[in-house]
Amino acid sequence: MSAVSLRNVFKSYDSTLVIHGVNLEIHDGEFIVFVGPSGCGKSTLMRMVAGLEDITAGEILIDGQVVNDLPPRDRDIAMVFQDYALYPNKTVFENMAFGLRLRKTPESEIRASVQAAAATLQIEHLFDRLPKALSGGQRQRVAMGRAIVRQPKVFLFDEPLSNLDALLRNQVRAEIKKLHHRLKGTTIYVTHDQVEAMTLADRIVVLRAGVIVQVGTPDEIYHQPRHRFVAGFTGSPPMNFVDASVVSDNGQVMLNLVSDHRLPLPETLSRAVEERVGDEVEFGIRPENLHLANSEPPADWPKLSLKVELIEPMGAENLVHFALCKNSLVGRFGNHVRPAPGTLIDVVLDPTKMHLFDKQSGETLNRF
Amino acid sequence: MRTARISPARRFFLLHLPMALIVLFAIGPYLWMLITSLKPESTLFSANRSLLPDVVTLENYVRLFSRTGFLRNLGHSLVVASGAVVLGLSVSITAAYSFSRYRFRGRRTLMLTFLLINMFPVVLLIIPLFIIMKHLQLLDTHAGLILAHSTFAIPFATWMMISYFNAVPRSLDEAAQVDGCRPFGAMLRVVLPVTLPGIIATGIYIFITSWNEYLYASVLAGQDVRVLTVAVQTLIGEYEIAWGLLTGGGVVGALPVTLLFMLIQKRLIAGMTQGAVKG
Ligand SMILES: Nc1ncnc2c1ncn2[C@@H]1O[C@H](COP(=O)(O)OP(=O)(O)O)[C@@H](O)[C@H]1O
Ligand SMILES: [Mg+2]
Repeated sequence: MSAVSLRNVFKSYDSTLVIHGVNLEIHDGEFIVFVGPSGCGKSTLMRMVAGLEDITAGEILIDGQVVNDLPPRDRDIAMVFQDYALYPNKTVFENMAFGLRLRKTPESEIRASVQAAAATLQIEHLFDRLPKALSGGQRQRVAMGRAIVRQPKVFLFDEPLSNLDALLRNQVRAEIKKLHHRLKGTTIYVTHDQVEAMTLADRIVVLRAGVIVQVGTPDEIYHQPRHRFVAGFTGSPPMNFVDASVVSDNGQVMLNLVSDHRLPLPETLSRAVEERVGDEVEFGIRPENLHLANSEPPADWPKLSLKVELIEPMGAENLVHFALCKNSLVGRFGNHVRPAPGTLIDVVLDPTKMHLFDKQSGETLNRF
Repeated sequence: MRTARISPARRFFLLHLPMALIVLFAIGPYLWMLITSLKPESTLFSANRSLLPDVVTLENYVRLFSRTGFLRNLGHSLVVASGAVVLGLSVSITAAYSFSRYRFRGRRTLMLTFLLINMFPVVLLIIPLFIIMKHLQLLDTHAGLILAHSTFAIPFATWMMISYFNAVPRSLDEAAQVDGCRPFGAMLRVVLPVTLPGIIATGIYIFITSWNEYLYASVLAGQDVRVLTVAVQTLIGEYEIAWGLLTGGGVVGALPVTLLFMLIQKRLIAGMTQGAVKG
């Protein structure tokens, strides 16, 4: 049985539809991340699970029970808000104890539960402080403490790291993951940051404009994107896209890249597009799948001669921008690769990592 | 940016002197009232009167409390103003909370109506109110005056409370609901404590307006329930004005309001700085 099920869920504000029929099964103990650009409806979807927004149509089930008409307090969920929403006039201890007090838990039990949760997050020394006397990172921990103290069926996180500085964000991200390994609670986590999604999720739900574009493990999302949008949303820098058309050269299906570069396609891809000769498509390849011809790639990988535009040294690696007619291609190389801007170099593309997308629909043409 | 360096003399003429004049103009009448109330009545109109009293005496105050029913008038004022605070706060808090937190049909219209009511002169309402009170047999009762004062106290207090509630992030109510509160409980247990400074300020505002109100108090009541403002006015007779009593009554009447206002001022500032929830 699923911990949370969304069945054909719609949401509209007045007459604008913001969630367009979402179906999703979340398994027990799973860490699910809703990711997508700002305004795509991630928060709305999570808030419907929480009971903070009405469900316009469809059904949401928690633990097999339809919760559409249940108020938040009867859904056995806990939520960490983007602004933490700590009660400003209650101490840290009382913030964490509040939910238990409302449920008439005996005092001794409250003490033990809060103590245990605080020990997990190492915030026991803050018990008597008010939220305003805490740093951003400490508030974040207290907000998490308040969520875990009740041991709910489902944890909900709405962009919990977005108010932290970059360094702290990485640290807390790792802690959230550790915490999940420990508590194994079903978790829905909303973020617009693909790195958070990739690092935390068991499965990622990619949303765009109120529609699920793809659901999959981080590996699936990264390596087998079903849609140009997913491919362009993940990775940093994201996948390179080049306009191309499918051509037939002596019976062999090839790609014609913008600047009349002919690109032979691997077996699987050419079979996938052999019926589309003449069609416009979009060719995609990730930066790390560009290699230098003079390293030791297999001899049969397709080669392009490209002009170096600029180099961005990243420390461990260098990002090299190549000009390809109007488009540019970014390659990710070791930090010893430092071609001078303006020079031409030979680059080979890993044929097993090539992606083709329909120009109109954006759907992938690969067959994974 | 350069900070302009102003000479002390210019500073005095441009800033301190005008401010001193404004302040003097504003509190001058009150000072005069206070000084007059401390003079013996017999010296008020004597030929060799002076601005400052030669002898300071409390005889006006003693007469005020022993000879007239001023203590009872104070009591009526207290009952009416407190009643207006209780009624006004309970209505305006709940109304403002709904306006701030829920989006419902007619919300904007209703809020605008509340604003418009504040713009009408209270005189316009007095005849209809008189007729209503007469039918409800509320003329010359505490309840009647409390209701009458609520007609202008509630709309303004509601607008005040709306802005206090709007300053509290909605995620706070939501966190409370997820934690196990009903919507009303979330308001009561989480939002109200946070807005307490604002509630106190609003309550004091209602108290002050009710305490100082004269028109309704004199038309809708005045015999059995004679509040302070009306009582002070009766000291102005047809042929004679009891200046000593009048100024004494004025001082006693202004005292609680002044004290409350000093309180509200601090609270208002506290309310502004306390709103920090995140950051
Ligand atoms: N209370 C509301 N009234 C009207 N539209 C809303 C409301 N809340 C959110 N929306 C709209 O719904 C869409 C999704 O919002 P949201 O779920 O907050 O996006 P996300 O969390 O992915 O950034 C947005 O286009 C937003 O403008
Ligand atoms: Mg959001």
